[in-house]
Amino acid sequence: MDRIATLLVIIPAAPLLAVLLIAVTAPRLLRSVKLWPAWVTVAALLVSAVASWLLFQEIRFQHGYVKPQSPYYERVVVLWRWAEIADAMWRVPQPQQDASTAETGAIRFAVDVALRADALTAFMLVTVTSVAFLVAVFSIGYMAGDRGYWRYFCYFNLFVFSMTMLVSASNFLLLFVFWEAVGLCSYLLIGFWYEKPEAAAAGKKAFLVNRVGDFGFLLGMMLIWITYGTLDFHASAVVHPSQSLRQAVDSDNFPPPGSKIEPGVLSRAPESYVKGLTGLAICLLLFLGACGKSAQFPLHIWLPDAMEGPTPVSALIHAATMVTAGVYLVARCTPLFVAVPEAQLVVAGIGAFTALLAALIALTQFDLKRVLAYSTISQLGYMFLGLGAGSLAGIASGMFHLFTHAFFKALLFLAAGSVMHAMGNVIDMRRFGGLRRLLPWTHWTFLVGALALAGVFPLSGFWSKDAILGSVHDRAHELGHVSGTPPATQPETNHAAAEAAQHISHGTWTWLSPAVASRCYQICYYLAVAAAFLTAFYTFRAFFMTFYGELRVPAEAGHHAHESPPVMVVPLVVLAVGAAVAGLLLDRSYRHTVEHLPEGRVSTANAVTDFLGYTPQLAIPAVEATRHAGGFHLDIAAVSLLLALAGMGLAAYLYLEERTEAEFLAALFRFEWYRKLVDSQNLIRLRRRPLVARIESVAGRLGLRWLVRLAGYAVLSVVWLLTVPLMIGYFVSPYRLSADRFYFDELYTWLVVRPLRGVARLLAAVDMGIVDGLVNLIGRIPVWVGDLMRALQMGVLSFYALSMALGLLIILWVRLMWGT
Amino acid sequence: MGGLLVATLAVPFLAALLVAVIGRQSVPSCRWIALAAALLATVMAGILAVSFEVAPAGRDVIPDQFVTQWQVASGNTGLDVRFSVALDGIGLWLFVLSAVLLVTSVLVSWESVTERPALYYSMLLLLTGGCLGVFAARDIILFYIFFEFTLVPLFFLIGIWGSEERWYAAVKFFLFTLAGSVFTFLGLLAIVLWDYRCQGTGTLRFDLREVLANVQQNPLPEAWQWWVFLALFAGFAIKVPLVPLHTWLPLAHVQAPTAGSVFLAGILLKIGTYGFLQFCLPLLPHASAVAMPWVLWLSVVGIVYGALVCLAQRDLKRLVAYSSVSHLGFCMLGIFALTPLGVQGGALQMINHGISTGALFALVGMLYDRYHTRQIHELGGLSRRVPWLAFFMVFFTLSSIGLPGTNGFAGEFLLLTGMFQRAFGGGSGESVAALRIIAVLATSGVVLGAWYMLGMVQRVFFGPVREPHSGHTSGSGSNVKDLSWREVLALAPLAVLVLAIGLYPKYFLDRMAPSLGPATAAAAQWTDRLIGPAERRAAVPAPSWLVVENANRVE
Repeated sequence: MDRIATLLVIIPAAPLLAVLLIAVTAPRLLRSVKLWPAWVTVAALLVSAVASWLLFQEIRFQHGYVKPQSPYYERVVVLWRWAEIADAMWRVPQPQQDASTAETGAIRFAVDVALRADALTAFMLVTVTSVAFLVAVFSIGYMAGDRGYWRYFCYFNLFVFSMTMLVSASNFLLLFVFWEAVGLCSYLLIGFWYEKPEAAAAGKKAFLVNRVGDFGFLLGMMLIWITYGTLDFHASAVVHPSQSLRQAVDSDNFPPPGSKIEPGVLSRAPESYVKGLTGLAICLLLFLGACGKSAQFPLHIWLPDAMEGPTPVSALIHAATMVTAGVYLVARCTPLFVAVPEAQLVVAGIGAFTALLAALIALTQFDLKRVLAYSTISQLGYMFLGLGAGSLAGIASGMFHLFTHAFFKALLFLAAGSVMHAMGNVIDMRRFGGLRRLLPWTHWTFLVGALALAGVFPLSGFWSKDAILGSVHDRAHELGHVSGTPPATQPETNHAAAEAAQHISHGTWTWLSPAVASRCYQICYYLAVAAAFLTAFYTFRAFFMTFYGELRVPAEAGHHAHESPPVMVVPLVVLAVGAAVAGLLLDRSYRHTVEHLPEGRVSTANAVTDFLGYTPQLAIPAVEATRHAGGFHLDIAAVSLLLALAGMGLAAYLYLEERTEAEFLAALFRFEWYRKLVDSQNLIRLRRRPLVARIESVAGRLGLRWLVRLAGYAVLSVVWLLTVPLMIGYFVSPYRLSADRFYFDELYTWLVVRPLRGVARLLAAVDMGIVDGLVNLIGRIPVWVGDLMRALQMGVLSFYALSMALGLLIILWVRLMWGT
Repeated sequence: MGGLLVATLAVPFLAALLVAVIGRQSVPSCRWIALAAALLATVMAGILAVSFEVAPAGRDVIPDQFVTQWQVASGNTGLDVRFSVALDGIGLWLFVLSAVLLVTSVLVSWESVTERPALYYSMLLLLTGGCLGVFAARDIILFYIFFEFTLVPLFFLIGIWGSEERWYAAVKFFLFTLAGSVFTFLGLLAIVLWDYRCQGTGTLRFDLREVLANVQQNPLPEAWQWWVFLALFAGFAIKVPLVPLHTWLPLAHVQAPTAGSVFLAGILLKIGTYGFLQFCLPLLPHASAVAMPWVLWLSVVGIVYGALVCLAQRDLKRLVAYSSVSHLGFCMLGIFALTPLGVQGGALQMINHGISTGALFALVGMLYDRYHTRQIHELGGLSRRVPWLAFFMVFFTLSSIGLPGTNGFAGEFLLLTGMFQRAFGGGSGESVAALRIIAVLATSGVVLGAWYMLGMVQRVFFGPVREPHSGHTSGSGSNVKDLSWREVLALAPLAVLVLAIGLYPKYFLDRMAPSLGPATAAAAQWTDRLIGPAERRAAVPAPSWLVVENANRVE
């Protein structure tokens, strides 16, 4: 094995070994050594992280030597064959296909346990293992004294193992295996404190919602199999046709001439990707899976409940190991999505919508971790928006945001964990405040994370969010100029690439016209900008409520509320440094000089984009054509920065000292004024007014009391007519909608869960009563027949003789008929 | 090696005899003899499995291995009955699983069965012997004898050692399956008579392979096939069981002793699917192809219906029993998808279900031994009390809901993909639209399965501790012990199999494929023809006899 293959195996193997080691030794053998599981974990993850960075360097090195005809680098390592079924499918060439290129004949179903190394995988591996390592260090202190110390670290390692395997899998089936495995790990870790009913329920909810997404993934995968006849990402070569030995084809290993190459799903000629309804169905089904894992609308409901797990687990899930899987999948499947631009629009639309929806919910939450959870959903929406933009810059910006988000979100969660640690596990922001003196380190690191999340210059979130907004804006712009001249921003690209750019911008739209698509992208852009404002607001609302105002500490914290130990503070500081400078280092679009990469490529002025551009799935012409020589969108950056500052300012105004304005606003949006206006108490008060009483008495004297009563009823009915919409309006007032999370949980409970449970109960009753009853009824028939027969047995010999003779006659008759 | 197969078959019968003779005098000796026999049978079956050769790719090879034949009635009498045993890919793993489950059953019954142990263990051994015989028999009479013979010991196991309603359950189980198997016998007889008519030797043959070869050359007329298919279907579908013929199953499971449930779920249900693979599809290809949409509908209804009924169950054992209905629906779906992936996935899922559900029944039995209740609402938070039991329960639950990396995934994925290929691979017309609905509905069973199983695990094992107040344990329940070594050993082989099949299913599939291909080829070919032209369909080259038959039709 060469170096890359070795590293590729070491990265997942280290946490796996740690799992086994902890499971075998920790419960009994080394129970007295309290920190043993923690040290094993930290050591394993350190190995894994170092190996990831080494792999990253190796891949970077290889990029300098890619060949012009295959302008990408990938390396595939096949470990063993999982299953093989010969002659699984038979293909007949379709009429429109060229007979020489069509895949015909018997196709075998073969799935290998194959790992791959390329830019995208290396990028993900670095993110995952680095963040996981820091979270593991933090956990040493946070989980100290917990009953399930070894169990925690065991699951932790399993989680990291599954995630590293997920991003290095080289076929859909293996990816799906670990896709579900991370679901299992989240189930185990969210339900880690299983004595708490909420924790157990949250774990189950996470698993089931993910299963709904996986259902889509599974269908998509099966559709891929019958469409493309393979599940491999990589191409493989039949090296010895006689023995039909297959070998993965990668950049290090070109097949010998004359061998037949079978393309993989994600490595084939651009024109051979299936378009139309089938292509759309594949993309949307895969995206449904991604929605489940990455908590996008409509499957976002599991992530906020996942807060029931230990806080470092939240950091792990939100930053590195689970929710990023969906983003990775969509990025990996770029060629499938590029073939069907409508699917990309759906990805962008769902992303933008989720970004705004989650931001709206986060506005009114009082649970610090819940605010952060909704901000994760919102930021993941941004990533999908970037991926949906479809250009190289868009996809890379989505991955860039994934990277920066991993840092600042892990930082924010760990800081929240540090707050919880000091506050005796209280996380309700109404119960503590002014903690900046008490927890100085936590305060400062949280501030860095919050600034990065809000997208303030020059912290990392600013750069990646700007890149996403810029790419979406460009896409809308490009699509709007279909009839006009092609965009003039790409003078370096050659003619073919320009053609490809035309193709991607408006050539392949089937159901929508490019003008409509352009409008849709524009709407997405505005949604995202609005969400950026809200992000800054809710982030700093949480920040001010937690760290500013007068010092308040809940009773649970006791008298010893204090800053966390160094083992927890150091990871915070490291992450804060990362969150602060990562963007500035990687995005160099503020420089004016245009750089050139090896093989005559133009630098996009964004190190992430340059690096990811060598991924085989991103080096296809349709994507490559959208490579822009780095431009910094000053206007977009200015708008989003101003909005972020406005959001911060509003949060400071409302929450910094007195919170009367905030309460006033909340009351306003709760429609309380409306409620007061037509309160039934007002009516009673009205009747007690002297004027009304006098009118009543005068009318009584005149004998016109019925008239007054009629008028009273009229008033009453008007009031009730007003009150009914009011009561409805009260429940759907903007504040309640946000605070009750737009009633999604209730909606699913009433529309899906309860009806299904009702049907289940009904079916169980039917099963016991009707189905079984029918069977028993049939079972009675022999008894009845027996009763009839008993009547025939009268004991008269001649009757028996007669029936015997009759029977013989019948048999003879049948025999005779049979003969002829 | 043929001798080894016969010896493996003989072990449980001889042990049963020994237990019956010696067990009267000393009670503990019965279980030790039973355990020794079980281990011996497992080792021998394991040796057979390891030495089972992966047949070369040639399709016309009849992949029977370890053949032994003794003439019982010679051809001179006009009757050719043999004691003929062999193993092929369809029966191999079920054969091994029978032996493994015997070990589990004996260990599970170790302390919980105190009433008439000699009779109990001899019945258990006879049951195993019958199951082993079913999967090894290569003579139709011999098969039918074993097929019926399995009913008797299980009838007594349920009737004597069962719960409160044991007699009703036992009688219902017995009559239900007996009624079906009478039809099966008529169907098999019809095939044998057809064989008798078509070959000119004047001997009534019962050898499966010879009959099969002849019937494939001279298929039954299509109208006849339909009736014979219905007859075979009656018996096998009740065994499987397909909805709506399933109502004996929950009752029998709930009332049966733990070992009885383990065997019932693990092996006896598989005799039905085995029968479809070994008899229905190869002998009656046309009728099978015609019946395919109907069987698929029944299967998918079973999947969804079984899963939904599970959601409403309050009794642990009933829940696992209904989950069997759902899982066997998956098996039948895969087999009757009649694509290579579907058939192999379905066949693998037979094994998987035996392992996972067998283990789940064993675990429910262990829980019952401790708390003397199976009501879900009386239990809660037990992972605090019995962590290892909880661990194994979660493990086998995950395998049962088909988590990747466990056996359940390998089977479910293959068979669903096979079904998907059948539904979306091409063809036209209403029947294909129906197939598409079936495929998607069946896939949704994956979500429902996770729902009810995880819901059960959550309520019983997580949350605050809740234990029944009365009963044999003292009020606090603190003296409830976790799994003993004996119980761990009962589950360990199954856990190893779960991971082995999950991580390297190729080993198991490779040994099944050479038998499954020829068994289903003709039916698959007919199905392709009935559904219409397909762009991407199952790759089944036309068998030579089919072409001949077709030529005849043209004339």
